[in-house]
Amino acid sequence: MTRPSEKSFGIAAALVLAAPVVVGTGYATAAALGLAGAGATGQASLDRAVAVLTDPVVWGGTLWILWVAAASTVLSAAIAIAIAVTFRGAGRLDALGRTLAVLPLPVPHLVAAVGGLLVLGQSGLIARVAFHLGFIDGPAAMPALVYDPAGIGLVLALTWKEVPFLTLVAVSVLATRGDALERTARGLGAGRRDVFWRVTWPVLWRGLMPAAVAVFTFVAGSYEAAVILAPSDPLALPVLTWERFVDAGLGQRADAYVLALLGFGIALAAVAVHEWVRARIGLLDGGSA
Amino acid sequence: MAALLGVLALTVACGTDGARSPDAVTLAELPWDSVVERARGSDVVWRMWRGDPAINAYVDDWVAPRLEERYGIRLRATQGQGAELVNALVVEREAGARGVGDLVWINGETFHNLMQESLLQGPWAHRIPAAELVDSASAIVMRDFEQDLAGFESPWGRVQFSLIYDTLRTPEPPRTVEELGRWIDRNPGRFTHDQSFTGITFLKGLMYALGGGVDEFRGGFDQEAYLSGRDTLFGWLRARTPHFWREGRVYPSGVADLHRLFANGEVDFSMSNNHNEAVTKARQGVLPASARALVLRDGTIANAHYVGIPFNAPNPAGAMVVANFLLSPEAQLEKDRPDVWGDGSVLAIERLPAEWRARFEATERDPRAVPMDTLTRYARPEVAPEYHERLQADWRTLIRAGG
Repeated sequence: MTRPSEKSFGIAAALVLAAPVVVGTGYATAAALGLAGAGATGQASLDRAVAVLTDPVVWGGTLWILWVAAASTVLSAAIAIAIAVTFRGAGRLDALGRTLAVLPLPVPHLVAAVGGLLVLGQSGLIARVAFHLGFIDGPAAMPALVYDPAGIGLVLALTWKEVPFLTLVAVSVLATRGDALERTARGLGAGRRDVFWRVTWPVLWRGLMPAAVAVFTFVAGSYEAAVILAPSDPLALPVLTWERFVDAGLGQRADAYVLALLGFGIALAAVAVHEWVRARIGLLDGGSA
Repeated sequence: MAALLGVLALTVACGTDGARSPDAVTLAELPWDSVVERARGSDVVWRMWRGDPAINAYVDDWVAPRLEERYGIRLRATQGQGAELVNALVVEREAGARGVGDLVWINGETFHNLMQESLLQGPWAHRIPAAELVDSASAIVMRDFEQDLAGFESPWGRVQFSLIYDTLRTPEPPRTVEELGRWIDRNPGRFTHDQSFTGITFLKGLMYALGGGVDEFRGGFDQEAYLSGRDTLFGWLRARTPHFWREGRVYPSGVADLHRLFANGEVDFSMSNNHNEAVTKARQGVLPASARALVLRDGTIANAHYVGIPFNAPNPAGAMVVANFLLSPEAQLEKDRPDVWGDGSVLAIERLPAEWRARFEATERDPRAVPMDTLTRYARPEVAPEYHERLQADWRTLIRAGG
């Protein structure tokens, strides 16, 4: 039972959290219409929004970052699940496995991206080793894994960076929700495969979903790794947004705000899809999360 | 009389806005001593590009202590440059916020944008004492991308674009645009340029060379001249980009990325807006010791950079004293040294007192640097900022996205 004073405190806290988003969206909308910001004409116009949203470069960059976000989220979630399931015991090896898996957690994304460049680049660590072993005869012979149109280098760097976070969540989901249900299933005579597919897996993916959505929206909107590892064509949406925001011509500022709103729309859509799935499926633990 | 009027103006200015210090325009009318007195013991925040450790060291460890010692001014340099600076100042104006920066480091299209949006104070720059020492005969110093400085920015340094090559890898580098084209064709995958300011400056220099020289583009922005120059340049590029690094499908985002590709042997050329960068970066170990600057005989773009005072600067008097010190012969000489920064002086050396003239002339030139007479002979001025803006936008749409 919540007392009224607690409720009003909660509402105030929620307002403080929401205020920057609401104000930011309002300002971005005004700037996208040419009513605020550098280069504003003061006359509301949809011209820039139409021009931006009908530009194939914009949609190419949007689809590209969605691909990178989806691929790195799925890959890192799969690896996190495998680690959580493999090292869920109480033994020393389990603790070691879990600890090693979360080590990259404090590494900033920027550092992960630069690390990706130094390891995966055509003159990077892998290329140098391959060169010394005689597998390749120069940088150009190394497959392009950074600035590559498929985004392999970026996906790998982001996956490496997101696995620890998702592993932490997966481990705690299994520990808090999985054990009792699995014991019950085993008590009722279920085999190992059945326990995994009918209990462990559903508990895991439902518990991991909010974190995975957070990872997806973060990656789809993040600039620092993309600017270091992504190609210049297609230009990832966050990089394109920043490029327009700092363009030499003030006329491009409104474009940046249209693109920022597009990025915000993608994040909202991801959250909406998550809520929709959650509402349809329900949670095994009685919806307390 | 002028001083009396100045004091009167100051009184009026203070009367209308008691808490604020008078703006730079008002201060410029006062005797210099009274500006210095107002600046004494104050804080000055300088928003500038902070991306080069050598420049940061010059500002933080050489300029700042001297300002503190002589004027009690505490100088603090913070990040803020180019379009980011324009955006930040627009937001500060919209929010009615007190400014956070007293001085800004700017040039070219940033100056253009700041003037378009009325975000600078002025005129003041021509009234500071050291302005008399500036090389007023130089079109490169006195015109910023063909724009009249109008007393809104004070010259600080000058640089000239150069390619960077490695004498061990490329003992016989191309010396003209035509030779560069042939070199690229014969050495596929070994050349590229970056997507930022430096890369666009390189392309603009090519546009001059291929389009009949810089005179075709001078005298303000001309749509026809631009389109003709652009089409010639893009024709040259389209024939060549299949031989660029990664077949021209990808470009390094900034010049730091290009330096890295060059240092790691992925490409054979880098480039810089500063003719001394090959030497200074080699000294820092960023580039190989055998790296050298290369000035193409078709000419390379020379430009100057400046400091300005934002419209909402809390301490314009302090900013003016800093600007004045930056123009002093000792500060200009220190900055010019290749082991410090290697940024060219904007002073008219021949007009300096004999002692300083001798010191400039005796400054040890790094034997690896491009000789001054070569730089002067091949220097080409900047043209109107719209050329840069349009070329950047069109290159992104027509070349990069089509790559």
